[in-house]
Amino acid sequence: MTLLNPGLDLTLRPMRYPAFFDRFKDAIKNTWTVEEVDLHTDLADLAKLSPAEQHLVSRLVAFFATGDTIVANNLVLNLYQHVNSPEGRLYLSRQLFEEAVHVQFYLNLLDTYVPDEQQRFEAFAAVENIPSIRRKAEFCFKWIDSIFELRELKTRDDRRAFLLNLICFAACIEGLFFYGAFAYVYFLRSRGVLHGLASGTNWVFRDESMHMAFAFDVVDTVRREEPDLFDADLEKQVTAMMEEAVECEVQFAEDLLEQGVSGLSLADMRSYLQHVADRRLAVLGIAARYGSKNPFAFMELQDVQELSNFFERRVSAYQVGVTGTVAFDDDF
Amino acid sequence: MTVTTETPAVPEQRRHAMRVRKRDGALEPVDVNKIVRAVELWVGDLDEVDPLRVATKTISGLYDGATTAELDKLSIQTAAELIGEEPQYSRLAARLLAAYVDKEVRGQGVASFSQSIRYAYDQGLIGDETAAFVARNARKLDDAVDVDGDRRFEYFGLRTVADRYLLRHPQTRLVVETPQYWLLRVACGLSTNPAEAIAFYRLMSSLAYLPSSPTLFNSGTRHTQMSSCFLVDSPRDELDSIYERYHQVAKLSKFSGGIGISWSRIRGRGALIRGTNGRSNGIVPFLKTLDAGVAAVNQGGRRKGAACVYLEPWHPDVEEFLELRDNTGEDSRRTHNLNLANWIPDEFMRRVEADEDWSLVDPSDAPELPDLFGEAFDDAYRAAEKKAVKTVKARDLYGRMMRTLAQTGNGWMTFKDPSNRLSNQTGAPGNAIHLSNLCTEILEVNSDDETAVCNLGSINLGAHLTAEGVDWDKLRATVRTAVVFLDRVIDINYYPSEQAAASNPRWRPVGLGLMGLQDAFFSLRLPFDSDAARELSTRVQEEILLTALETSAGMAEEFGAHPAFAETRAARGDLHPDLWGATPTQTARWDALRGRIAATGLRNSLLVAIAPTATIASIAGCYECIEPQVSNLFKRETMSGEFLQINTYLVRELKALGRWTPEVRDQIKRSEGSVQGIESLPADVRELFRTAWELPQRALIDLAAARAPYIDQSQSLNLFLSVPTIGKLSSMYLYAWKSGLKTTYYLRSRPATRIQQATVSIVPVADAEALACSLENPESCEACQ
Repeated sequence: MTLLNPGLDLTLRPMRYPAFFDRFKDAIKNTWTVEEVDLHTDLADLAKLSPAEQHLVSRLVAFFATGDTIVANNLVLNLYQHVNSPEGRLYLSRQLFEEAVHVQFYLNLLDTYVPDEQQRFEAFAAVENIPSIRRKAEFCFKWIDSIFELRELKTRDDRRAFLLNLICFAACIEGLFFYGAFAYVYFLRSRGVLHGLASGTNWVFRDESMHMAFAFDVVDTVRREEPDLFDADLEKQVTAMMEEAVECEVQFAEDLLEQGVSGLSLADMRSYLQHVADRRLAVLGIAARYGSKNPFAFMELQDVQELSNFFERRVSAYQVGVTGTVAFDDDF
Repeated sequence: MTVTTETPAVPEQRRHAMRVRKRDGALEPVDVNKIVRAVELWVGDLDEVDPLRVATKTISGLYDGATTAELDKLSIQTAAELIGEEPQYSRLAARLLAAYVDKEVRGQGVASFSQSIRYAYDQGLIGDETAAFVARNARKLDDAVDVDGDRRFEYFGLRTVADRYLLRHPQTRLVVETPQYWLLRVACGLSTNPAEAIAFYRLMSSLAYLPSSPTLFNSGTRHTQMSSCFLVDSPRDELDSIYERYHQVAKLSKFSGGIGISWSRIRGRGALIRGTNGRSNGIVPFLKTLDAGVAAVNQGGRRKGAACVYLEPWHPDVEEFLELRDNTGEDSRRTHNLNLANWIPDEFMRRVEADEDWSLVDPSDAPELPDLFGEAFDDAYRAAEKKAVKTVKARDLYGRMMRTLAQTGNGWMTFKDPSNRLSNQTGAPGNAIHLSNLCTEILEVNSDDETAVCNLGSINLGAHLTAEGVDWDKLRATVRTAVVFLDRVIDINYYPSEQAAASNPRWRPVGLGLMGLQDAFFSLRLPFDSDAARELSTRVQEEILLTALETSAGMAEEFGAHPAFAETRAARGDLHPDLWGATPTQTARWDALRGRIAATGLRNSLLVAIAPTATIASIAGCYECIEPQVSNLFKRETMSGEFLQINTYLVRELKALGRWTPEVRDQIKRSEGSVQGIESLPADVRELFRTAWELPQRALIDLAAARAPYIDQSQSLNLFLSVPTIGKLSSMYLYAWKSGLKTTYYLRSRPATRIQQATVSIVPVADAEALACSLENPESCEACQ
């Protein structure tokens, strides 16, 4: 029996994919809640931003308003039914919870950032009204729809279609659209503004990194179990899909940066997106498409341990679900 | 496959299109050579930096039509972003920033220190006395400014100073003083004559000593609140007193003070309220109100208000107290802004060890408990147990404390009995220490109408080294100056509450601390957990306490002992090392000191406390207080932004070994700042550069315990466990208690997973597959299971 065999496997012992279960447990330790994020200094910062930066932020939150909901929909409608492993479904259930927390976080963020009700409605309708966001959404919908009618993955073509959907959401949507958005947030964060947005988004990204890693685990598992699904044709399709995703994200960047933001040029943003796309392809074992370098030194800041001064920031580096019993001779 | 060919020739396009808007509004093409020349001005002795690199990267981040001010700012930012590759860029970025600040100050017509004070005075920022002092001594003071002083700053330090410490024009928000003017202003605010001011300025400008942030913020200004810490006794068990405390906390918080407040006297949930014949809702709803109050005060935008609530573990609401920082459960019973600390009597730890029961007793049934310690407490507690509200297993409650520490870092373990027994202030009956402060390094008596206050400052040990070791003469000289100026704060200080004003003149406590211990260990190549490191740290601490006491005795000879001297243990001849039964090394000096104290007393009841130095260590560019490094490569998150911090001692070592390469940098980044996996490094280098996560925590406790006899208050001791378990934590804190420590501080741990790294190379999928299928690695192989 393989992971993509149609069915409703309920057997947790013996466990076929313990790595999925480990990811489930790790995810639980990272539990956070929206109430922990303090947005109160953000409003003062927003007022200080230049019009160009304010435009950037408003577009960004408009994207966030619907982004996680779209991912959650695909998870429920497409991924959950086909990943036939109870431990895998445990992880996906957890991921669904996390997407819901993200939706709640961005809902709270928008309610705080956009006090005017009419403008708030417009932000949530961005997916209809703002062309640069609509284009990204259409890309997502296209891939959701691509396997929406599939109830069971019976044929090789079915499974290929599933893989493309999975890779699309992991590599292109969470891996590129969200990572593009992260760059904007990290840019602002490196400049010391919008701490609330930065700290909440930091936790969102920590979750998203896990989602992506899990999806790539699934891809690797399928690759081991059914290597013949992976061929040059699939690589071509993935590369083409990635190109389209990069185009979507570049046109979004053109919109965000149209008024000019010092330190975040469109040319650098394009190189960054291409660099990220190449990295996603590399994880899938596919040759780099662009050969671009990361021009953003501030992204390096996200790769190292953080140390917060508690006077200034809430320390975020703690775990929940700590185990054990009182003892006096444990090593420390 | 369709290959789109739209990838533009980016550099080409940029060269033609990029223009910058000058201050007069005219557009002008960006000239890379002009930027290179501007950067080159500041390179000087920095032989590893490349101005062209800064210039081209700056231009690449620019948009068409950006202003020249944006260009200047971006070049500073760009230089700072290269710190991960070459630490010298930190100095370069700092110099560019200093030039930027200088320009801003001069642009307002300020050309000298005295003009800056005059200008700021006219804006209502400077106090009358300081303004008059500077006006009287303008020439001397102006001449004292060290024009090269700013070159000593690293970028992160100077950025912090520029964003938050320099005084700003109330309307334009432009800075009205340069970093050197700022330090001289701080010195003038505490001095009686120019020679004294200049000496103190030079000490601070050399970054060998810095007073705490409230002093750096407010000295010489119109509101000279310069104390860091306030210790507020628990409100009395009545509504008026509780609301009086909210008011007091708000006032203290407004002027940059950190608050410790006990809540042990307030009755628990379910206790009878006679006035209304109702039942109390317990302490949680009141703490929720305190939480909101603290969050509302923002300390002039420079940092958030902060408070720590102390509770003794016999309080009936202790279990709910320990949940106040959980991120699940009903939010009306959560306090996200308050810090929490347990104020633990020895009796509790003894019962934990013996696996006995522990009684929860309502303070309305035993109101004397918070004021007692030692045997008197033990007796009263055992008597009160007859009226226990509830009985729990001591170990179960201890386990909950450990869980709170692991999951929130909060719920600090501080020990009531050693804190009282080993204090100079508890010599007379009736005087008791009821809590520590926000950072667990201050231990002072207080009461309903006396709020304890402490002024702090820290010596940068890294700035007191020679090739052979510690420069003891220089260290002594620094201590002498520091103690005089800490003492000076007591008289000049603005006290935001009458309870604070009542306490400080009586006890005159100060807290002289230390930072850069890790710098000293790196410089002298002492592994943090070595015997030599422990010995050095203890000797340094002895020198500091001894010299501080000598200085205080000298001031007592001149100005008289502090009014409460008769109530102290020192008045009976017991100095702090005696309380510990420690054997100092400098016997002759200690003997001479005892004679002087017996004759004329001490000017200060307490002298030494090791504060966390979170911000001032950044300004001085050294490691925090007595802490080991957290990582060889990490970032600091502050209100000014994020800053990459790299261990320059390690970089120097790697350069000498010819190993400072992109690959090694990548490796350090991938292993989150550890060098333990870099096998080509010699074993002694790897040992020296271990991080706090890689050191045995026992060693941190041992170092703290060894120096403790020479710290008459306490120390902010953080402990670090990457993956905390209840078993490890309970063992560690029992050991800390048995070692005699008065207090501990945060438990630091790490997230279970991290954000995917974006700037390190990825392991190719082929390798991952090879590993997964290898029979050599059965654990990693899922395929064959």
